[in-house]
Amino acid sequence: MSDSATVAAPPTHAAARAVAATKIYGSGDTAVRALDAIDVTFEQGQFTAIMGPSGSGKSTLMHCMAGLDRVTEGQVLIGEIDLSTLSERDLTLLRRDNVGFVFQAFNLVPTLTAIENIMLPMDLAGSAGDTDWVDEVVSATGLADRLKHRPSELSGGQQQRVAVARALAGQPQVIFADEPTGNVDLNTGAEILGFIRNAVDEMGQTIVMVTHDAMAASYADRVVFLVDGKIVDELVDPTPERIRAHMNQLGA
Amino acid sequence: MLKLALRNLLDKKIRFALTTLSVVIGVTFVVGTFALTDSLRSTFGDLAEDIAGETDLTVRAAQQVGGETDRPTIPDSLLDDVAAIDGVVEASGTVQARNVVIVDGEGNAIRPQGPPALGMNYSSRVFFVIDGRAPDGPGEFVVDATTATGNNLEVGQTYTVNGPVRSQPFELVGIFNFGSPDTNTSLGQTMSVFDNNTAQQFLGFGDRLMEIRVLVDGDVEEVQSAIAALGHEYEVITQETAAAEQSEQFQSVLNVFTSILLVFAFIAVFVSAFIINNTFQIVVTQRVREIGLWRAIGVTPKQVSRSIVVESAVVGLLSTAIGIAVGMAVSVLMRAIIRASGFGLPSGPLVLRPRTVILALVIGLGVTMVASIVPAMRARRITPVAALAHDYRIERSGWRMRVAVGGAVTALGVACLALGMAGVGSAATVLALTGVGALVTFVGINVSSPAIARPVVRVLGRPIQALFGMPGKLARENAARNPRRTASTAGALMIGVTLMATTAVVGASVRNSVSDALTDAVSADYFIRSEGSQFDPATGFPAQVMDDLGDLDILESVVGYRVAFGGMVVGGQSRDLVSADFDAVEEHLDGGVISGSIAAGDPLTGVALHVDPAEDLGLSVGDTLEATFPDNETVTLTVAAIYTDAIIYGNWLVDNALWEQHLSRRDYRFGTAVVAGLDDLAADPQLAQSQAELLERSEIAIAETVAGFPGVIGENRAEFREANEELVNSIFAVITVLLGLSFVIALVGITNTLALSVFERTREIGLLRAVGMTRRQLRRAVRWEAAIVATFGGLMGVVVGMILGVAGSLATPDSFITTVDVPFGTLAIYVVAAALAGLLAAVLPARRAGRMNILDAIAHE
Repeated sequence: MSDSATVAAPPTHAAARAVAATKIYGSGDTAVRALDAIDVTFEQGQFTAIMGPSGSGKSTLMHCMAGLDRVTEGQVLIGEIDLSTLSERDLTLLRRDNVGFVFQAFNLVPTLTAIENIMLPMDLAGSAGDTDWVDEVVSATGLADRLKHRPSELSGGQQQRVAVARALAGQPQVIFADEPTGNVDLNTGAEILGFIRNAVDEMGQTIVMVTHDAMAASYADRVVFLVDGKIVDELVDPTPERIRAHMNQLGA
Repeated sequence: MLKLALRNLLDKKIRFALTTLSVVIGVTFVVGTFALTDSLRSTFGDLAEDIAGETDLTVRAAQQVGGETDRPTIPDSLLDDVAAIDGVVEASGTVQARNVVIVDGEGNAIRPQGPPALGMNYSSRVFFVIDGRAPDGPGEFVVDATTATGNNLEVGQTYTVNGPVRSQPFELVGIFNFGSPDTNTSLGQTMSVFDNNTAQQFLGFGDRLMEIRVLVDGDVEEVQSAIAALGHEYEVITQETAAAEQSEQFQSVLNVFTSILLVFAFIAVFVSAFIINNTFQIVVTQRVREIGLWRAIGVTPKQVSRSIVVESAVVGLLSTAIGIAVGMAVSVLMRAIIRASGFGLPSGPLVLRPRTVILALVIGLGVTMVASIVPAMRARRITPVAALAHDYRIERSGWRMRVAVGGAVTALGVACLALGMAGVGSAATVLALTGVGALVTFVGINVSSPAIARPVVRVLGRPIQALFGMPGKLARENAARNPRRTASTAGALMIGVTLMATTAVVGASVRNSVSDALTDAVSADYFIRSEGSQFDPATGFPAQVMDDLGDLDILESVVGYRVAFGGMVVGGQSRDLVSADFDAVEEHLDGGVISGSIAAGDPLTGVALHVDPAEDLGLSVGDTLEATFPDNETVTLTVAAIYTDAIIYGNWLVDNALWEQHLSRRDYRFGTAVVAGLDDLAADPQLAQSQAELLERSEIAIAETVAGFPGVIGENRAEFREANEELVNSIFAVITVLLGLSFVIALVGITNTLALSVFERTREIGLLRAVGMTRRQLRRAVRWEAAIVATFGGLMGVVVGMILGVAGSLATPDSFITTVDVPFGTLAIYVVAAALAGLLAAVLPARRAGRMNILDAIAHE
């Protein structure tokens, strides 16, 4: 599946998509168009990186796609569910059941152990989850012996792996990662990205990652470039060099 | 640095408001108490001068023994002797008695709640008739305006008046203002005023007087010594002394009132200090990075701690100012309430004395600043690294140290408490020891309790987790997260609950002791008392009631009882005195006589006493002792019996005959009656029918007799016991309600801590919401966290309170408490109440947490 990356994919294969998604902050003269009628589709089983200079709207796009924020105009769909039709509560439940998150830092609840953090969305839903799947995810993290530890007893890389495991554990339709390697050293970053790549290849997960690091983006199947709230370019099967070249072209 | 401190306060308005609120409550209490009592005091002082103002000299019997109500009388023949002295312009005799109760047109006794019901003789100098005329003749009386209007008494009507000796109808011929022609300043007393002869007879003075008031033309001192020369059994006091005594009487009542209120104010302030301390601790923790940054750019540790002290000073000053304003408003309100409740209160200015302001400052500013010292010192230890490190922790003393120090402080407090309870030293010392002991104990527990906070809170949270799943688990973990904060928050609540629990244990013990005494030792069938006697130990009913009951054939015997606090001096100490009828009293109330016989005692020279004073003085039956009475007579008494139950007889019991020889009061405080032949019937089960019949007939007979004296109550055993239990319950209920105030302050503390914790966990909350925690689940987690912390505080309070209550009950003399009872039901209710209070306190913080914008929360630094 990693080779079927196109902007206009059939809707049936889309894990998430935006249709003419527009986000405007403020009003009148001070209004800012953070997203400007964006159309984008994230295919199932694909790892997509979103890149762009600061203020390009990449974080806003992720927030809107993930149901953390609402678009001003247009549509955002997770699977076949139109997020604009959902109440605040249903949106929360959608995040819990259908979306996974990995943030740059502060990903884990400090009072819960690693395994409790991994199980958090399922525990909130009051469901046991798919035990075999969870076991598989946990063993993939390589942290089987540290599961009873609290986040403060884990290294930065270990914490991020637990965060990725939490995102995977509930088998969501799509996982959004916001600079997941922004806060760790190069080696650890590589380790985490490898783990994410593995989740896509071995477990068939759909991942969307916001980053400004060309090296990190090169792990993705596809890179989408954003400038001034618009998608200006994209790159399939990227390498760090090609990404940097594109970025330079975009004047970032 | 001042600028920085101020900026900090303005930035965190809610936190600031909540911290201020807890100080304001304490200061309000203190200022309100002082402003009210100072105002009353100045009004009473003026009034005392007014009352004494018209008299140059007052002649009365000298008195060494007993209270003012037990002052001996003087013969009215003295009046002529005084009038004959050169320079005396006018000499008039006065009499005054308590428990002179008017029965209104509907047959209800008019008995003020608290102030006395007085009977007096008329004098145009203090009673200003505003309607009708002055009393003149044996069947007439006048009353004060407040009593007349409050009870619809009309001039020209005839009303029954219960005097100390008998009940008699009088025609109301006038209504007067007391103290001043314009307003009645009777201060809630009811005043029935008769002409001189009538007052003497009706109030039981015979041909004797209480005082002679003298107007002098010429040298007052000369006249004073001339009167004094009439006999050493008399004393002559000047206008100034009389005014001072009068005002002292008012003051003593006020002082009790002030002390009680101040105790509660003190508790409120103490609880506030806990909350302030906790708030500043949290604030320092939250600002670690910021303070680290200050340090990095060159702010010295001293400047850091100073800025925190400045911040606390601003909080302290502002809340003191608000507290003073609110306190004044409260005192105005209280005065209005007192006035509205029919307490004839003279109007006067609101008094705010410098002392009150200074005290408010010491409390408001002082407590706030003292409470901020430890956090300020902690802030000094923050190094510049804090600005950079991700999760920086301020170094702090270890658990072992904490437990050791806390344990030592607790032990010190307990030692003080023990000394206080053991009754070492004077009453003031006992109070101080107990108060300081309790305070130190609380501080000690607060220092060491973080050591147990985590395990206890974990256990308490287990059922919450089982019940609510993940939100429950988060509530439990968050409650256990910061043991010091949890312990401190719970500590504020613990204080209130401890005091309430102590009160509950002591209250239950008193109630049960009274009940036991009534069950075991009472064989009388009926009990006579006057309405309101529960609240005022000075109330009584006419002696005639017992005489009339004694005439009933259906009753075998009746006994009347009188009480005089300090009514006798034995061995250089004043002793509380009870009088009864020796011949029958043992058949009515069994005081547990262990040697001798009360009935065998001589009515005029016999005395029975409790085993404790008997042991102290080395007295046994047949021994003699010298007793001095209020009439300054010293009598040799013979010990007739020694008994063990002080709840029934008090410590010293004499016969009514002896009392009537040496003390002036004639009314009875209490009476008992035994039905004739009831015991014989009770012995035979076949006669149960006739027993019930006999009881019914006797009840009717007693009711008929008592009906002639409105305001006098005849109760059977069950009714009497119920009334007593109700009394104990209502007293302790009032105390509990007042203590509940500290509970409310503690709630503010929980809200405050929780609001700060929620703010501190902004990112975590954002994360939880992002991964799918609903608002409801989040609010639930916050609320139950508060409930767990509050339950912890409630539990600590109940445990400590139970220990203090049991210890206090054991240490209380047997005359009050014989059995110790722990009301587990009530204590359990307190714990549940604490939990519910926690849920309530969390409502606002939980709402705030629920409303947080997820994106802002995630991005929060």
